[in-house]
Amino acid sequence: MSYFLARRIAGFVLTLWAVSIVVFAVMNVLPGDPALTILGLDSTDEARAALRERLGLDAPVVQRYLAWVGGALRGDLGQSYSFGVAVSGLIAERLPLTVSLAISGMTLTVCLALVMGLTAAARHGRAGDWAIMLFSQLGIAVPVFWLSMLLVLLFAVKLRWLPPGGFPGWSDPVAAARALVLPTVALALVQSAVLARVTRSAALEVMRLDFVRTARASGFAPGHIMWRHVLPNALVPIVTIVGLQFAGLVTGTIVIENVFYLPGLGRLLFQSIANRDLVTVQALVMLFAAIVVTANFLVDIAYVLIDPRLRAGRA
Amino acid sequence: MIALHNLTVRTTGGHVAVRGADLAIQPGQRLGVVGESGSGKTLLALSMIGMVPEGLQVDGQVLVKGETIAADDERAWRRHRARTMAMIFQEPMAALNPLVRVGDTVAEPLRLHLGLDRAAARKRALDLFEETGIPQARRRLGQYPHELSGGQRQRVLIALALACDPDLLIADEPTTALDAQVALRITDLLVRLSQDRQMALMFISHDLAAVSRTTHDIVVMYGGDIVERGQTVRVLSDPAHPYTQGLLAARPSLMHRERRLPTIPGTVPQLFALPPGCRFAGRCARELPQCVGTRPPVVATPTGQAACHLPGAGQT
Amino acid sequence: MNARLPVNILIGAALVAVVMFAALLSAIWTPYPYAGIDVANKFAAPSGAHWLGTDQLGRDLVSQLMAAAGNSMGVAVVAVGIGCSIGTALGLLAAAKGGWIEELIMRLSDLGFAFPALLFAIMLAAAFGPSLSMVVIAIAFINIPTFARVTRAAANQIWRREYVFAARAAGMSTFAISRDHILPNIAAPVIVQATIEFAVAILVEAALSYLGLGAQPPEPSWGRMLAEAQTLMYLAPQLAVWPGLCIVTAVLGFGLLGDGLRDISDPRLARRRPA
Ligand SMILES: Nc1ncnc2c1ncn2[C@@H]1O[C@H](COP(=O)(O)OP(=O)(O)OP(=O)(O)O)[C@@H](O)[C@H]1O
Ligand code: SF4
Ligand SMILES: [Mg+2]
Repeated sequence: MSYFLARRIAGFVLTLWAVSIVVFAVMNVLPGDPALTILGLDSTDEARAALRERLGLDAPVVQRYLAWVGGALRGDLGQSYSFGVAVSGLIAERLPLTVSLAISGMTLTVCLALVMGLTAAARHGRAGDWAIMLFSQLGIAVPVFWLSMLLVLLFAVKLRWLPPGGFPGWSDPVAAARALVLPTVALALVQSAVLARVTRSAALEVMRLDFVRTARASGFAPGHIMWRHVLPNALVPIVTIVGLQFAGLVTGTIVIENVFYLPGLGRLLFQSIANRDLVTVQALVMLFAAIVVTANFLVDIAYVLIDPRLRAGRA
Repeated sequence: MIALHNLTVRTTGGHVAVRGADLAIQPGQRLGVVGESGSGKTLLALSMIGMVPEGLQVDGQVLVKGETIAADDERAWRRHRARTMAMIFQEPMAALNPLVRVGDTVAEPLRLHLGLDRAAARKRALDLFEETGIPQARRRLGQYPHELSGGQRQRVLIALALACDPDLLIADEPTTALDAQVALRITDLLVRLSQDRQMALMFISHDLAAVSRTTHDIVVMYGGDIVERGQTVRVLSDPAHPYTQGLLAARPSLMHRERRLPTIPGTVPQLFALPPGCRFAGRCARELPQCVGTRPPVVATPTGQAACHLPGAGQT
Repeated sequence: MNARLPVNILIGAALVAVVMFAALLSAIWTPYPYAGIDVANKFAAPSGAHWLGTDQLGRDLVSQLMAAAGNSMGVAVVAVGIGCSIGTALGLLAAAKGGWIEELIMRLSDLGFAFPALLFAIMLAAAFGPSLSMVVIAIAFINIPTFARVTRAAANQIWRREYVFAARAAGMSTFAISRDHILPNIAAPVIVQATIEFAVAILVEAALSYLGLGAQPPEPSWGRMLAEAQTLMYLAPQLAVWPGLCIVTAVLGFGLLGDGLRDISDPRLARRRPA
């Protein structure tokens, strides 16, 4: 167990380190002069020199990289060029919204996907199965921003049940929750399409196994067998995809926040790009990539928690 | 208690896998079912708990405690499974959920069907483990299937089957996957449990020796037909049907007993290749001209009944 | 499942054919110039002259959708083509050399999976400025690890075959074996993967253009059309419908085709979902 964990942790740290190099290189080294990127082609040499001085860009690349990583490890992500405040502060301010959206989106995704996937498996080959698979096939092809627009058209423009976008802040929890309904649904509908498929095929695989027959012979109800016996055994592929979907979730939130004008990290990312605020962009890209890497790492660990056989094997 | 009338199971292709079986099991009765692979033993058993695989068509009547239950009436079957009849299968490793501690597996029907609380179910599971002879029962409760030996797993499955005190236990080749010593103990356990609990036992096996030690009555199947039946000792010592005679002749001596049955001359034909009359025609040494085309009648024999145009103690 | 298989491919191929036809046709003919502004005719309803009507500047919708199809297919072809070529070459190299080279290539491609395509493209757009070429580069880059993995897995199997041993024994070079024996035999999984990645590329291009990081005005793009339509949602909701349907048609088409091809070639082939 500990050897296994140590290996995984080492791999995780190495990946994060490599990701930081890629991000730093793309944002700082490849484009040439970041001051030029920030200030634009029509800037004067003096202005650029002044900015380079302020951002410490004249130091050697390696030193700048080390300073960035060192700062990041202490929670210091630098000063935002356009907002004039610490990037960490900007992130802290917007994090709750993004995290709420991600959590609600993922929760709804998993619920929808499990219900659809298990239902389809239970009705294998019958009408319900076909309907769910058709939905899933469509869900994979629909871009999340278009689905969002359609939801807005229907529920905000036509029916006027929910706000079309924007965020009223947390002081009014009901209004805040209402603002998150459509984004959550859009995110979950798209994400659950893939997960429902995986759940269905994983469940079908498990349903062939003998212990399911034992459970049936024990007189348990089909629903009980599905949720308590089939699902746990189908969890490994499902968790794998959930982990992979963190990538989709992260990019999905970035897109969704921009569709619904939600002031979260994704919106901040685009504002910073528009403002050519490279320091902030770099911090955010690193953060998003780190989330994806962490999710994949946690999935690796989760396998061991799911399956006692692995626990024994790795002890 | 459980009775089958004219039970027929057809495959999707319309081939008959069980043909018009009549069978009744009385309370406390121990019945053996023997026959080569593919003779329809498992399907016969599955039809008695309403679990014939999807895609197969079941006709005829199944009576459980006097109540007729349609093959697809899942709700009615669910009322009876575990309580009226329970079943254990051949492969004890795969038959247990690998992610659940075996104690919880046995506790599950106790909690769901009998409404016991966690502590009571655990207590009862421990009793069942002890009753089925699982050593160090208390410690085993918390273990996972992969931590147990094959024989212990089969005992866990028996404990699970006994949980709701069924009137009938169907054991489909419960010892085939186990080695000889362990198999012997499991069959003895089944007999003891059946006697102690006044529980009927349907024991399906390839192993004539095991069946003769375990059961009082016997049914011999071939090609989906019940070809002979009667008291186990009498049928096995004085078989009337040529197929039963063949089975016995092909039996290895008890000295170096193998668990797989050596075959009678020829091989069991595929379902679609079975003759329409007597299923055994073509492999039978005593075959008459009418055997291939005409289904033999069930006739009384000195030891019970047989379905044959020419039953008797002839040579094979 | 097997019974559905041909249907899968048929529907997929039909959808792909429609989109491809529109894309190719747009290179030589569209009903109107796609950027042709005709303010007098803005928000025109569908008619014989404008089959799907016009937008807020009176531009013909059908022409824009066709031109956008051309753009979308172009991006996908070039980006997946580049990513597939480099990735396949690396995968072949990894399988042929083994040892630390294989290890290095595979570790690097693991790294690629830390970046969802969209995030990587956003990073490039931020560093180099938004444009369709950045989108192409981003998609190409993200495709490299995917193809490297698929190729290596398939190639490693072929390397174990007897006729490869024979070729080696006959003194054929590693490169020649990779070219003459391995490559032709791994074409199936690579083509399947390419079809699926096509669908992903279309989605990513649309998303980036929607977000303003891809096609720049007046370049036609389904994603950009949707971004414009969003600001007119109360005024002209119909504008938000057609570009989305086009995206779905294209993505669904390639997705179904890829799924179907995979089912008949190798059901266990790794599948990456759209980013
Ligand atoms: N799900 C099914 N679909 C189609 N045919 C089946 C199915 N299950 C069983 N059969 C066929 O029905 C016949 C009887 O099968 P059954 O399993 O009852 O035999 P058995 O006597 O239990 O054999 P064994 O000793 O091998 O367990 C066989 O020919 C088998 O091929
Ligand atoms: S009916 Fe005929 S073929 Fe069948 S067992 Fe009797 S004698 Fe043999
Ligand atoms: Mg059987």
